[in-house]
Amino acid sequence: MTEGQGRRRSGGSGAARGDAGQARRTSPSPFTGAREPADELGALLTLVARGDQDAYRAFFDRTASHVLGTVLAVVRDPAQSEEVAQEVLLDVWRSASRFDASLGSAAAWIATLAHRRAVDRVRSEQKAAERELRVASAAVAYDEVTEAVEARLDRERVRRCLGSLTELQRESVTLAYYGGYTYREVAGLLGVAVGTVKTRMRDGLIRLRDCLGVDP
Amino acid sequence: MRLGGNDPHTLAGAYAMDAVSEPDRARFERHLAGCESCRQEIRGLREATAALAAAAAVQPSDAFRDAALRAAAQTRQLPPASGQALAGRTAGDRGRRRWELRGWRSRLAVGLAGALAAVAVAAGVVTYGMQHRLDQAQLHDHAVATVLSAPDATMMSAPVRTGGTATVVMSHRERALVFTAVHLRLLPAAHCYELWLIGAAGSRPAGTVPGSARGGMADPMVVSGLRAGDSVGLTVEPAGGSPRPTSPPVVLVNLSGAS
Repeated sequence: MTEGQGRRRSGGSGAARGDAGQARRTSPSPFTGAREPADELGALLTLVARGDQDAYRAFFDRTASHVLGTVLAVVRDPAQSEEVAQEVLLDVWRSASRFDASLGSAAAWIATLAHRRAVDRVRSEQKAAERELRVASAAVAYDEVTEAVEARLDRERVRRCLGSLTELQRESVTLAYYGGYTYREVAGLLGVAVGTVKTRMRDGLIRLRDCLGVDP
Repeated sequence: MRLGGNDPHTLAGAYAMDAVSEPDRARFERHLAGCESCRQEIRGLREATAALAAAAAVQPSDAFRDAALRAAAQTRQLPPASGQALAGRTAGDRGRRRWELRGWRSRLAVGLAGALAAVAVAAGVVTYGMQHRLDQAQLHDHAVATVLSAPDATMMSAPVRTGGTATVVMSHRERALVFTAVHLRLLPAAHCYELWLIGAAGSRPAGTVPGSARGGMADPMVVSGLRAGDSVGLTVEPAGGSPRPTSPPVVLVNLSGAS
């Protein structure tokens, strides 16, 4: 976080933690749970960027399930989801050098890559008419999404924190993130004003962030 | 088609969850570029989305793992870049990073100021004022730099029918382009220039051109959500922009010929 640093931290996690500026920023990552230090993923990425295939394997084993699960939630079709998840994970290998710890944790980086890619996939495949149809079939969609997600919410903490949101916040966040819908579509699905949905998404995520203790 | 409400911050949650249309995204990213507290907020919200991703975990098959590891072993890695090309697309932290000269890159990718200067030279005019603006832009907008430094960045210029020159630097890899123009005809206050991505499915608004009402050089705009086969068009619209074009383009740049 100190000024003028174009370079990411180098070396292992010990080196990363030696930097006070870094320590402030690398709050515990939700991605890694209690099992590993928050910046271990970032340290692995540093090694991956140098072509270290063992590090990539280790990174893969810690994150591939999250990538695949996120993509599956949005894309639904298993074959397509695997294809998208493969692209994301290959992107990690290709562009590990582009990871910048000053912009967030490695967990957030890969989650963003995965979610963005999944959303791009479903949106590029939908013609406008189909999208309208999709929004029109409102009632089904939310139940489906909720069901699919609840089946996978094996992380108690996230479940608990989602539970602390108001119903509209939770629905907005769930439909946006796991459903891959835009806020306008979510507004249509829930029959709520667009401005309200935007606000609920932001408030819901903020509450989730605070509950998880991941404020950077 | 504006961000809605008076406060663009309200879009932060939707943006962090990719729950925005491309025009909304582009507008919000322009807002982010000048708002450090917003970037900070997005960083926090992205950490929350990482938790949502973790909560949805599904164990991949062995075949999936083997295929992924094999693909990596056979794929060349990208060298480090100064931009944050893929993660989050939040505009970078102003002034925190320096653009470096990198010999291996294309001639465009010589750092933001250099590249923008190349744009200005191509457009025919460089003034000190413009150079100053370029320097400001260098500090201002990493999103611009990400496009300009993409390995496949391609530059095109075209005359604007009503006066001036439009220049586009595009990258299919980044699915984005940077648009700028010099000496556009001054418009009355009731009008503005608006940019469009024009594809098979019609025209998508890509934002009103900042600074264009003042003539001279339009501030570089980043337009994301570029698709194969798109053209870029500029029209004159009522101030504030229109959801779809209300007049024929004053310049149309066909992007499909570029690699």
